[in-house]
Amino acid sequence: MKISINWLRDYVDCQLPASELETLLRRAGLEVAGIDQRGAAIEHVVAAEILESTQHPNADRLSVCKVNDGSSEPRQIVCGAKNYKVGDKVPLALPGAVLPGDFKIKTGKLRGVESEGMMCSAKELRLAEESDGLLILPPETAPGTPIKDLFPAETILEIEITPNRSDWLSHLGVAREIGVFTGLPVKAPEPAQPPTASAGGQVRIEGDGCNLYTLRRISGVKVGPSPQWLRDRLAAVGLRSVNNVVDVTNFVLFELGQPLHAFDAAKISAPLQVRAASEGEVFRSLDGSDYKLPAGSLIIADGNGPTALAGVMGGEGSGVTEFTTDILLESAVFDPSRVRRASRALGLFSDSSYRFERGVDPEGVAIASARAVELILQVAGGSADSALLVSGKCPERGKVSLRHARVRDLLGMSLTNAEIESALSRVGLEKLAAGEETRWSIPGYRRELHREADLIEEIARVVGIEKIPSLARGPFAASSDADAAYDFAMNLRSRLAGMGFHEARTSTLVSAADASHFGEAVALKNPFGEDQSQLRNSLVPGLLAALRRNLDQGAKSIALFECGRVFHPSGEGQRLAIVLTGERHEPSWRGRMERSWDVFDLTGAVRQLAGLHEHDLVSASAPAAPFGACVDVFRNGKKIGVVGQLSPAVGREIGASTPLLCAEFDIDLWRAAASTKTQVTALAKFPGSARDIAFLAPLALPYGEVRSLIADLHEPLLESVRLFDLFIDTKGEKIPSDKKSMAISLTFRSPERTLTSDEIQGATDRVKAALKDSVGVDFRE
Amino acid sequence: MQQQVDALRSEALELIALAHDADSLESARLKYLGKSGAITSLSEGMRNVPKEERPFIGKLLNDLRAAVTTALEDSQKCLLEASDLAAFASLDLTLPGTCPAPGTLHPLTQLMDRAVCCFRRMGFAIADGPDIETEWHCFDALNTLPDHPARNELDTFYLPDGRLLRSHTSSVQIRVMETTPPPVRIIAPGSAYRRDEVDATHLAQFTQMEGLYVAEKVSLADLKGTLEFFFRELFGAGTDIQFRPHFFPFTEPSYEIDIRTQVLGGEWMELAGCGMVDPAVFEAICERRGDRVYDPEKVSGFAFGFGLERLAMNLSRIPDIRMLVENDLRFLKQF
Repeated sequence: MKISINWLRDYVDCQLPASELETLLRRAGLEVAGIDQRGAAIEHVVAAEILESTQHPNADRLSVCKVNDGSSEPRQIVCGAKNYKVGDKVPLALPGAVLPGDFKIKTGKLRGVESEGMMCSAKELRLAEESDGLLILPPETAPGTPIKDLFPAETILEIEITPNRSDWLSHLGVAREIGVFTGLPVKAPEPAQPPTASAGGQVRIEGDGCNLYTLRRISGVKVGPSPQWLRDRLAAVGLRSVNNVVDVTNFVLFELGQPLHAFDAAKISAPLQVRAASEGEVFRSLDGSDYKLPAGSLIIADGNGPTALAGVMGGEGSGVTEFTTDILLESAVFDPSRVRRASRALGLFSDSSYRFERGVDPEGVAIASARAVELILQVAGGSADSALLVSGKCPERGKVSLRHARVRDLLGMSLTNAEIESALSRVGLEKLAAGEETRWSIPGYRRELHREADLIEEIARVVGIEKIPSLARGPFAASSDADAAYDFAMNLRSRLAGMGFHEARTSTLVSAADASHFGEAVALKNPFGEDQSQLRNSLVPGLLAALRRNLDQGAKSIALFECGRVFHPSGEGQRLAIVLTGERHEPSWRGRMERSWDVFDLTGAVRQLAGLHEHDLVSASAPAAPFGACVDVFRNGKKIGVVGQLSPAVGREIGASTPLLCAEFDIDLWRAAASTKTQVTALAKFPGSARDIAFLAPLALPYGEVRSLIADLHEPLLESVRLFDLFIDTKGEKIPSDKKSMAISLTFRSPERTLTSDEIQGATDRVKAALKDSVGVDFRE
Repeated sequence: MQQQVDALRSEALELIALAHDADSLESARLKYLGKSGAITSLSEGMRNVPKEERPFIGKLLNDLRAAVTTALEDSQKCLLEASDLAAFASLDLTLPGTCPAPGTLHPLTQLMDRAVCCFRRMGFAIADGPDIETEWHCFDALNTLPDHPARNELDTFYLPDGRLLRSHTSSVQIRVMETTPPPVRIIAPGSAYRRDEVDATHLAQFTQMEGLYVAEKVSLADLKGTLEFFFRELFGAGTDIQFRPHFFPFTEPSYEIDIRTQVLGGEWMELAGCGMVDPAVFEAICERRGDRVYDPEKVSGFAFGFGLERLAMNLSRIPDIRMLVENDLRFLKQF
């Protein structure tokens, strides 16, 4: 909301500079989002009267004017605007003026005709954001008047107001807050208040949604332009002048925070009803648009139907026009949620609805009406009826008790009773009962204070948090399962980073296509776009998108991982995924070791990361898309994930020329299956002996089968099995092309003694025999 | 004999002095001290020396052997030293080292972990809650009015079943109190979502850190001390911290925290929201739990929350928030 500092000074004599005022307001909880300078504090710009206007001889769009700038000689100005007529008063920038944007004005020729200055628009003087043609000044403006006198400089604060403080939505409300924090007296307007009378014959409130509705008739007004002071005030808060009556209602809204509405009394067939709209009832607003009202919208209706959408906007038929002579001035309280719903449903938002949504002060209704009447009589003449017609009534003030001990406990500060009471008195509360537990009457403009906690907040605000001590204490905290999960994931992250992988973070919102490969996904009801319509059920699509982005950037080696949440209809889980493609080694001066990352780099990394045995990686019978080949990863017998190579089609789609490798794990399962090592293995006292065996096997025989066959022999002395050579000859020159040569190192050891060569040879022979018999390999002796 | 020994000594020492590599030194050794070397054969001649001359001749020969041995050893040492030096002479230490480059942790992870470590030092444990939340946990229990704008479908993502993507991690406060009796002292790092158009300063999904401490007699002074300590740990002892009164439905009093520190550019920056847990939140918890362990007359507490993206952006002068989710390696490798 815009707050004019000059306007504020009508109510509180605060001469603080804008920056200090900003600090004070921030301390009170009003955030100043911006400080604007208004007005035209520009030298050498004066009011000028246009004396004549002729067509420019060389340019269709330009005209040549003679103007009176207050000096004895008329001045010649070339002008491109069309919105003026001879006799109008406009701002004229004389040679030597510097307009906003460092635009220097000098005498010059435009298409061959001399121009001794420039006539200005409101935008060129930065008096408006947008403007159409020249700024036409009021007709009474004397030529030669400096423009800085017509538009004096002033400072406007753009204030952000929290939704709990509707009382701040007016200049008086902000002035009151300045009073609280400076101790300066606040002078609220005190219009003469008329007696009240029942509005019975004029207004009927039907149903709920409106507790207080008032009307006051003013007869014989002369609707016309507003005086300059009123126009200036409205311009300061960003409003256009409409006419003197409407301007007064807007002025009072920004002055006191109470929205008002003026009906043209001649266009209303009394009595007015405040009622809920029936389904499908149509309302034509001030701007001429028709709205089909949702059932239940609160409206003001007369015999002919809706004349206003309560608290939001007036109707077209009943508004004040230049022909209006008698007006009915509405000042009322409408239910915040009713106003909010109607306003949202129709997409109609106004300064009124903004205030009613947050709640207006019922005690201010009659004052605002009286204030507006006073001003309307002043600027538009006429006479007001002697009484304010009232329907409904102003609710009683709230009363709240406060235990002072509770204040001290919650704030952690030893405040005296006097300090506590002074703080609440400063914000306008009245003490009803004294003692260690006080009782307070809440003024209408602070209706949101209705609990003890609300009063404690006010005390903290007024006393200032800077006076509250800073304590450093707290109990011990036992670690939680979430701590264990956090540490487990952080450990994986750190180790992966140590292995050369870079951590990525991708969005949990993905497209339906991205989610389609990985089972059922959870869809959003109101996504922002199709590409963010589902919650990811796998980390892989996001990482592949990141990989693709890096490929497009020319990255040669891409190794990314992510730890994050995935979503399934059955719940949420924590995953880890890795993607890998490109060069295995950076080119180096040591000589070229060029090769691409391949799937064994990734299976090896996974084994190290998870502390797995070779047999924990088990071929998946049918690889699930997008994998072309993959193995399932087991940890202590539980499947925790999958690792493999993506199908070449995926690679082609994202433009990867090297194999795309990928792994994904369920970290929750992984953590559950993880075992902590409880005992060290004794260090060997006796030497081990290795025997190497080499054989030709059918090309299709997986190494895993060889490994498990050997393991199944349960040779008691066999300590480890290690594949150390693998050779395939596709040309069939050295070995047949349908065979592969494998070489395996067998290590034997006994914890009790040194083995004899006979024992070792015997065990080796049994391994060889088993391989020969079971999988038909040929030993190359 | 004396002359013969002297001649042999000067001949041997000269030859040793001329030996410039290991091979010639070895052949010199063999020539004099080898099995059939000159000194060896001279020593063998001792057998024929008359008994009375043996001590004298023996000493002569021993001195000769010692002198030659010392010369050989000295020369060998020199040669080794020279070859050691030569080995280093060709070593170019300015060649780039070749250890494979390690990977990196995402800047948000690093920042989050710093924050987590700091809160753990203060005795906070981690808590967790789902991203997909019920409206009750995300809004109702947090004292948010039924027609509060944040519940709007324009601002918050909903699922067809009426659940939503949490718009703040404050829902974890509710999850924790629902299941754990006081005292609780937790932090909850996690994602939150707002239905924003993605641009240089907005993401639809962002990262927050939530905190909650509820026990008997927790006061605003505890809140202030805790968060001042945290931010000074994170940004340095010289950090200016300002608590500015604000409004949140679930805390009262509520504050926004502004920070000014050189590492964040030296300007005031709005960083976190915090406040004393609103009694209405405790009442909602009591009703859900069916007991009164969170009776606002018995316990009090504070809660706080802050976003990590903007913090990371200011700490590292990241110009566009989208860089945090684009995962460009040229960006990631800088952390």
